[in-house]
Amino acid sequence: MRRFLTSLILGLLLGALAGLYFGWIQFPPANRNSAISDLAQRHRDDYTVMIAAGFAVDRDAAGALERLGKLDVDDIYAYLRGATERIIRSSARDFDDIRLLVRLAHDLGQLTPAMQPFLELDGGDP
Amino acid sequence: MIRPDPRRDETRKRAPGYFSYPVFAWSLIIGLALGLAVTRMHGPLQRSNAEPWQLRADERHHFAIAIALEHQHRGDMGRTLNKLIALRPAQHPLDALAEAACALGSSGYLGSDSGIKALRGAVALYSADGRSGCAEQLLPLRATDSAPKPAVDSAADAGFATPLPTKPPLRDSQGGASSRRLVPTPAAQRSFEARAARSFCDAANPALIEVHVLDYLGRGIPGQRIRVRWGDQADIFLSGLKVDRGPSYADFQMEEGVDYAIDMPGAADPLSASLSTGACYTGNRSTLKSWRVTFVET
Repeated sequence: MRRFLTSLILGLLLGALAGLYFGWIQFPPANRNSAISDLAQRHRDDYTVMIAAGFAVDRDAAGALERLGKLDVDDIYAYLRGATERIIRSSARDFDDIRLLVRLAHDLGQLTPAMQPFLELDGGDP
Repeated sequence: MIRPDPRRDETRKRAPGYFSYPVFAWSLIIGLALGLAVTRMHGPLQRSNAEPWQLRADERHHFAIAIALEHQHRGDMGRTLNKLIALRPAQHPLDALAEAACALGSSGYLGSDSGIKALRGAVALYSADGRSGCAEQLLPLRATDSAPKPAVDSAADAGFATPLPTKPPLRDSQGGASSRRLVPTPAAQRSFEARAARSFCDAANPALIEVHVLDYLGRGIPGQRIRVRWGDQADIFLSGLKVDRGPSYADFQMEEGVDYAIDMPGAADPLSASLSTGACYTGNRSTLKSWRVTFVET
C-alpha cells in the first residue's frame, strides 16, 4: 500500500508540474478574453497614441480621458506623463506620435520640462 | 542440508522496493492531464502581455473605435487597415469596424458627445468604402459637434480607391452629408516596382491575376491601390481585402482574349508586358493560365 501511494503521489506531482509548465510556459493558451489594460506595453502605447490622435482632431478632453480610462490605471494624468516621457526618452515612437502625446498632455495640464521642446516645435502654447 | 523455503524465495524474487513503475506511469499521465486542464481553465499566466487580437469582444470594439479616431487624424488607410487586421476579425476589417460601431452604439456609447463624435468618425471611415452597419441609424440625425471635419471632396471621388461599393451609405436617405465622401489625407507616397510577373496554371484559380504588394523587407502591405486597364476600361482594387490570403494579396479575374495592363497609380509604373490568359495544362486537365505579379517597395 505504501509502495502504491508513494508512486501515485510522486507521479501525480511530477505530472501536474509538467502539465502546468507545458500549459503556461511552453504552449500558453491563445486567450481571447483580455482587456485593453492587459495589452503588452507597445500596444498600450499604440492605444494611447491613437487616443491622442483622436484628440488632435476633436479636442475632446473628456472623451480622451474616458478612453484612456480603459487602460485601468490609478491616475490617468500620471500615466500620460509617464508614458509620454518614457517614449521621448526611449525614442520608441516617431516624432509625430510624440507630438500628439505632448499636445494631449499639454491640453490636460500635464506638460513637463521633458515635453516642452516638442511643444515648441509644434508651434508652442496656443 | 537445509532446503530453502520455496515461499520465502518467491517473496525475495518479487521484492517490490518502495516504487511501482506502472502506478507511477499512470499517475504521471493523469497529473499531466490535470495540469494541462488547469492551465486551459485558468487562461494564460501572464495577462499583461496580450496582443490586440486577444482582446475580448467589447474591448476589441473600443480598440477598433480608437483606430477610427486615429484615422481621422492621419487619413492613412493602409495603416488603419493594418491595425484593424491585427485584431484578426472574422470578416473584412471595415465590416468588423461597422460591427464594433453598431455594438457600441447599441450599448449606451452614444450617451456622451464624445461617443457620438467617435462613432461618426467610424461611420465615415467604413461608409467611404461602401460598407454599412447599424450605427448610422443609431446616430443622431444632425451633427451637433463643432469638431474640425476631415477633408471632404466630392470631386475627388474618381481618384479615391473605393473598391466596388456594394450599397450606398444608409444616411443617404437622411439628407445632410449624403453626397459627401471622406477622402483621407494621403500619407507619404510610397513607390513600388513590379519585380516579377510569372504565369502559372491552377485549375482551382483559372484566369486570375494575383498581385502581392510587399515592402522592402518583404512584408505585405494592405490598402495599396492596384489598377488594371484593358481596352478603354480600368478597375482599381486594394491589397489586403482578402484577409485570409494575407495583407499583401489582391486579385483580378481576367477574360480570355483580352490584354491587361497593371500598375499602381502614382506609385508604380505599368508592368512592361501586358497580361493575357490562354489555355494551359495541369496534370491531364486543361484550364486557363493565371499570372502572379509582385510589386516591391523601392
